[in-house]
Amino acid sequence: MAGIGFELRKILERNNYTSTLQAYFYAGIISSGPWVLSIVSMLLVGIISIKRFSDTQELSYFLVTVTYLMAGSLVMTGGTQLLLTRFIADRMYEKRNDLILPNTMGALALTAVIAALAAGPAVCLLFPDKNLYFRLLTFTAFVILNCLWLAVIFLSGLKAYNRILLTMAIGYTTVVILSALLSNYQAEGLMLAFVVGHALILFAFMNEIFRAFPGDKLLSFDFLKRCNIHPSLFFIGLAFYLGIWSDKFIFWFNPITSEATAGYLRSSVIYDIPIFLAYLTIIPGMAVFLVRFETDFAENYSRFYDAIREHQPLKTIQYNKQLMVDSVRQGILEILKIQSLTVILLFVWTRELLSWLGISYYYETLLQVDMVGVGIQVIMLAVMNVLFYLDRRKEALQLSLVFLGSNTLFTLASQKTNPAFFGYGFVIAVTLTTIIGLLMISRILRDLEYETFMLRN
Amino acid sequence: MDKQAQITLLLEGTYPYVRGGVSSWVHQIIQGMPEFSFAVIFIGSCPEDYGKMLYEFPDNVVHFECHYLQASWQMKPPARVAENKEAYAKSRKLHDLFQVPKAKLPNKLVADVLSSLGEKKGITHENFLYSRCSWDNISRAYERYSQDPSFLNYFWTVRSMHAPLFMLTEVARTVPLTPVIHSISTGYAGLLGAMIKNRSPNSYYLLSEHGIYSKERKIDLAQASWISDGELAHAEGVIMENGFLRDMWIRFFEVLSQLTYQATDKIFSLYEGNQLRQINDGADFSKTAVIANGISLERYKDALSKRPPGIPMVIGLIGRVVPIKDIKTFIRTIHRVRDDIPEIEGWIIGPEEEDPEYASECHQLTETLGLKDTVKFLGFQNVPEILPKLGLMALTSISEAQPLVILEAYAAGVPCVCTDVGSCREMVEGGQEPGDRELGPSGAIVNMADPESAARECVRLLGNSELWHQQQQAAIQRVKQFYTEEKMFQRYRDLYRDSLAIAEEAQEWPA
Repeated sequence: MAGIGFELRKILERNNYTSTLQAYFYAGIISSGPWVLSIVSMLLVGIISIKRFSDTQELSYFLVTVTYLMAGSLVMTGGTQLLLTRFIADRMYEKRNDLILPNTMGALALTAVIAALAAGPAVCLLFPDKNLYFRLLTFTAFVILNCLWLAVIFLSGLKAYNRILLTMAIGYTTVVILSALLSNYQAEGLMLAFVVGHALILFAFMNEIFRAFPGDKLLSFDFLKRCNIHPSLFFIGLAFYLGIWSDKFIFWFNPITSEATAGYLRSSVIYDIPIFLAYLTIIPGMAVFLVRFETDFAENYSRFYDAIREHQPLKTIQYNKQLMVDSVRQGILEILKIQSLTVILLFVWTRELLSWLGISYYYETLLQVDMVGVGIQVIMLAVMNVLFYLDRRKEALQLSLVFLGSNTLFTLASQKTNPAFFGYGFVIAVTLTTIIGLLMISRILRDLEYETFMLRN
Repeated sequence: MDKQAQITLLLEGTYPYVRGGVSSWVHQIIQGMPEFSFAVIFIGSCPEDYGKMLYEFPDNVVHFECHYLQASWQMKPPARVAENKEAYAKSRKLHDLFQVPKAKLPNKLVADVLSSLGEKKGITHENFLYSRCSWDNISRAYERYSQDPSFLNYFWTVRSMHAPLFMLTEVARTVPLTPVIHSISTGYAGLLGAMIKNRSPNSYYLLSEHGIYSKERKIDLAQASWISDGELAHAEGVIMENGFLRDMWIRFFEVLSQLTYQATDKIFSLYEGNQLRQINDGADFSKTAVIANGISLERYKDALSKRPPGIPMVIGLIGRVVPIKDIKTFIRTIHRVRDDIPEIEGWIIGPEEEDPEYASECHQLTETLGLKDTVKFLGFQNVPEILPKLGLMALTSISEAQPLVILEAYAAGVPCVCTDVGSCREMVEGGQEPGDRELGPSGAIVNMADPESAARECVRLLGNSELWHQQQQAAIQRVKQFYTEEKMFQRYRDLYRDSLAIAEEAQEWPA
């Protein structure tokens, strides 16, 4: 999200109540846009097509397959996403923008091949009850999604957030409309709508990338060279995304909490609906996160390093560090405040909201637990963000592994107890990881001058 | 090679890789005293700065090591390391004393700190670079003492300054111990001596300074870029324009001298002026003494016998054509002398390549003053051959130590007119040693950059044959009695013998 701070700062500088609200609103959309859009669109697809289907079997088949497509593609590209984000930032810093286009193509080609190799056997084996069309469409969807996540990374480098959002909005609207039109064709029809909508987004993004980045070469694999990248980023991204999905995977694969819904693909009705709904509640927290960390923290961060580079006295360097520490502290406090407020309000209205959405109040407790969990996850994201800014890859890797490990461990443990504890595994893991992360950055920030001068040169 | 030596010579940036006064002196000493065996430890900046060895070692050099300061700037990858709080506390105490000029450094403290350097349980290069204690010391010192706002500059200056110490401490740890240590300068070599002496307290530590190290470094720092490698490259510009950092370096070199003076048992200089300077910089008066350089009279015997009768109306200056020799004052002096002695000639004998711009200015001045046929630039010449053709030697330098050309002129029977720099006055009017002053002046001392009075003295001497001959005799006698190579050898021979005796009485040394 580099560069977003500048946009936000422009809005904030107008310095009145509306402009502040506007900045947070904007930040909320930017930071939560893509996944809110995808969750909301799937909800809409569900609501619209549920009336068309005689039994909900086909709808579930589609929705579960899409969930697996999302989870699979995000985990598979998670490592590459981080790796490339840094690769692009470094090249832009070197003013080698001409390297970005050929490497985008290289990365997309490589990802597409790997995704195809993984998806090919998978679609053959997993859907014994489906025809070739469905398998082909699913296969295509997986390859497109993998490419899409990477294309977003390259586009973010352009800071064209508005355009990214607009494109995605158009794409998802297409998905929703087409699915309404094609729902007569069962899961195949819905999958076709899904593929067409995403293909549209991907092509729009590619067009954007071609227009924005110069380059006389079309294909390059510089991003694979050891000297251009930090391989640890790959493992950080992989572990982090695996961590985010590990509790879901566990619930899907435990025969007691799940059932085979789409071919051999299993899903956990009791677990999935609340957690996906819960993710919609972190929009305010994400907005604060973006405003605080991409403006205040980012500015104080560069002030600190500028003070060193510009030969300032030690006192000034220390003062700037203190500002940086304060902005972290304040940012986290604000996320905590806004998320608590959101969660408390939603706690009161949980049942009403569920009935309004046509979902059983049976989910109330789990949804509430998940809302706490994902709220804390915003702070965890903020912590990871600070670690990336300070280029602490070692700590970031440790933290992602802690998250993956604890989410796996505590989710398994929660399944051993009774269903009242479902969801607590995730909450405990996120809380534990966040506390460890906060201790990490507090130590790092305390020793920052010492480590900057003595250990990093 | 590689037998146990008796005397370790510590040489910084000189013999056997660099030509010059000090190097030939060292070679002279080693060659002249085959009865002693020497170990030569050379300390240079980096291998690329030096070419092939310029001297062939005599047989009595039994051990040779080269070490380069630049190697110490290659750092290991950063890592958190263990640290010794106590060692750092002591170092901090010592550094607080360094800040006070002329403060007496407690021997125990210095010894403790020096022996903690490079020790696993003390201050290693690694934990100097990476430890928390080290950081605390540096940032505290910055807050207390720095007058330069840039912490970055201060930080890197401190790092570059200290890096060589860890290399030296490694050398001190591994070098074979000998009964006598003899350093030919203070600075890094002198400090190395102090470290070796710290490891081997029964070794007898001698110091012979030709120039004064801290003063020379001061001139270097004021003039130009002696720093040109590694991390220091970026610091170069900074130091030049930055008074505080330059002072920090100067203070650093002064402290090196101070530590050397404190560790040594005897300190020698070439003449009284330098002796006073050493005392002023912290050398204990009772340790100091003067041993003047000497020349071989044998080489100039012919020069003396070949002299034509009468006084040749030629004034010579033997030296490089560079500003420090103030050639222009010499030219103006000749211009003035010509008014009284029209047939006078001024010969400038020495190479002109070092500072072509200055040389061409000198040529121009010669033409402007209409001295084209009077002043001659002869370039490099064989000194014993040219000396008999001179009636006088004039030295207009603005800085000298103990110029050998005066002794050479004396040996060839040529009186000298000199500026009052270095040991010139002692050499012309006579020094402290009994009988020297009684010989009378062997020339005249004049003020710096004063062609008027220089010319007056030249005319007075050249125009008075009786006075001239009297001074010529004084010159010959002076060099014979006080400035011969034999005399210098004798002093050092006695010194080595006595030092070895003291060290050998204190402990058994491997043969």
